[in-house]
Amino acid sequence: MSFVQRRRLFLVLMGAPAVIYVLIVAGWPLAQGIWLSVFDYSLLHPATRHFVGIGNYVALWTDPSARRSVITTVEFTVAAVGLELVFGMALALLLWRDERFERVSLALLLIPITVTPVAVGLVFRALLAPDFGLIGYYAAEAGLSIPRGFLGDPNTALGAVVMIDTWEWTPLMALILLAGLKALPAEIFEAAEVDGANGWQRFRMIILPMLLPAIFLALVLRTMDAFRVFDIVFATTGGGPADKTDVLMFYAVKQGLQFFNVGFAAAVANSMVVFIAIFAVLFILVVRRADRTARET
Amino acid sequence: MKRSTILAAGVASIACLVVAGPSWADMKYDGVTLNIASQNDQFAPVLAALAPKFKAATGAEVKVDILNYPDLATKTQADFVGHTKGYDIVTMDIVWSGQYAEAGYTVDLTEWIKKDADEIKVDDIYPSLMSALGGWKGKQVAFPFAGYANVLAYRKDLYEAAGLKPPTTMEEMVAAALKLTDASKKQYGFVANGAKGPAVAQDWMQYNAQMGGSILKDGKPALNSEANVKSLSVYNELFQKAAPPGAADYWWDGRETAFKTGIAANMETWSIGAAGYSDPSQSKVVDKFAIELAPPGAGLPKKYGIGGWGLAINADIDAKKKEAAWAFIKWVTSASVAKETNLGGLSSFIRKSQTHDPDVAKKYPFISVIDETFEHGDGEYRPRIPQYPQIQDILGTAVNGVLVGNGDPKKALDDAQAEAAKLF
Repeated sequence: MSFVQRRRLFLVLMGAPAVIYVLIVAGWPLAQGIWLSVFDYSLLHPATRHFVGIGNYVALWTDPSARRSVITTVEFTVAAVGLELVFGMALALLLWRDERFERVSLALLLIPITVTPVAVGLVFRALLAPDFGLIGYYAAEAGLSIPRGFLGDPNTALGAVVMIDTWEWTPLMALILLAGLKALPAEIFEAAEVDGANGWQRFRMIILPMLLPAIFLALVLRTMDAFRVFDIVFATTGGGPADKTDVLMFYAVKQGLQFFNVGFAAAVANSMVVFIAIFAVLFILVVRRADRTARET
Repeated sequence: MKRSTILAAGVASIACLVVAGPSWADMKYDGVTLNIASQNDQFAPVLAALAPKFKAATGAEVKVDILNYPDLATKTQADFVGHTKGYDIVTMDIVWSGQYAEAGYTVDLTEWIKKDADEIKVDDIYPSLMSALGGWKGKQVAFPFAGYANVLAYRKDLYEAAGLKPPTTMEEMVAAALKLTDASKKQYGFVANGAKGPAVAQDWMQYNAQMGGSILKDGKPALNSEANVKSLSVYNELFQKAAPPGAADYWWDGRETAFKTGIAANMETWSIGAAGYSDPSQSKVVDKFAIELAPPGAGLPKKYGIGGWGLAINADIDAKKKEAAWAFIKWVTSASVAKETNLGGLSSFIRKSQTHDPDVAKKYPFISVIDETFEHGDGEYRPRIPQYPQIQDILGTAVNGVLVGNGDPKKALDDAQAEAAKLF
């Protein structure tokens, strides 16, 4: 065996445990999920399990409540991740050149991220309650919300859940972007200053293009998470009022763990993977295009 | 030591062992471990606290896994379907009876109960609870353990001030609720669960049954029947005109808080929580409330909602464990243990001897209401059929949608009926 072959074998052996691990913890469940999704399979009646092909996927698209869940999830994801990006970027820029409050601020920023989403949901549910809640009571008194409160109003419930998610996850976005900002070379900004570029020009022409990899990372991470939101919805609205906050993950959990329709639940979960993949591809295309535009200018 | 002394000592020792024989014999479950999956209700810590006593009496170790409702449903279901024998005894919600019976997850206790009828004192157990908390089409898939009575909690001070008598019909209760509402003073006449999901579905089904409605007709869904549409209209009217503004978003905790903080004058609730209204550390209505029978609609028969939990034995476990599990169930539901736990504050009854016990009556002044409720108990207002979880979900969305102004009762129940019909 030549040196090159031995070296290749060595590298394969070194990488094998990781590959095997991924196949076991990710590949196998994914394959099982796909396999289950082509069966009409209820755990309550396991004996009646039968092959339905793409029947579960067709049912997902023909069921009005499932379709509504898809739309709600997309609305939630776009709104929450969009707000988190804007606020996160603002926070990161504020902390970037700050030396006095940076350490304290970073420590404080970690607090929302470390609280479990269910606890966050329960706390906000109590805070927003119009009859007893610290925020909800005064908001209703001041006429900022209808008497039923933000979470009880079909027009504001999704917005309220988006705001709760934004409160919890903006710091993560800010930390990722701040790390990206800290990695930018200082000379470029000094040169830009000498050339007379103002703040907005520096942001648009230098910071934004150079920060694209960090933005991409933050967007993908948060989109994956936001698309699978469950805990906050479960703890605040339970998918209501009516079906206004019925997100896809909520629908999947209900099908799988309440009704035990595991075949259908697997189809919902697989569809979510496809959705997230579409989002990721869209981000890649946008970032690449922006990167190319920045290089050309 | 003389030989005679030694002999006497030996005989005395044997005599002691013989006298102590029954407890020695009872240790026949030494080495057996019983794993219980318990709903996180008031009885869960009581089960855990009783475990050492059962071990001392029988040798069997009892481990209690306390779970919230969704976890209990999921974990036990997975255990049954996978035949993994993770749990030996399961606390079974009243509405799971049909599902357990049809799938054969748990031991049919019918013959065991017959065999041990005298020991169990079967006649002492309310027939309505024996049937609802585990009975299903001739099978007994669980043994009644914690019976809850649906009762009306109301503010007697507000009723007296307004010159009203406690309601005996639903119509009187609705009229009183409207009269006792003064939003400018943050005083509301009524509160119930309004939040989407099981919360609003279960509460509405209760009021619906009291107003003559029914979820099923001849075993099939009849969600949009005339009586149901009418009862949902009344429920909606109460929410719009007499309930706290946030009630459409209340789960059980919100509903109970509204009553305990004194902003609501009428609330139907499970008897298990009623004792808490007398506790000044958690209630502002101590001495201002009373518990009465949940009023049925005028002219309708006496039928009161009952709920609660049974104890079921996993059908997959081996015979020795099944025997030990049955011994535990008989022991924990016995009159003596039940009295002890109820005097300790458990507030879950299945036996007539308990609801007629003077000591228990001193602790629970409203015990006669519970007794009457169990005597005329209706465990079917939430249909105990295998499709119940889906029906509850459909109603949970439909009723909540009406309460938040997202549709009229007839249309909401028509849509719900169309969806429910697909399940049959």
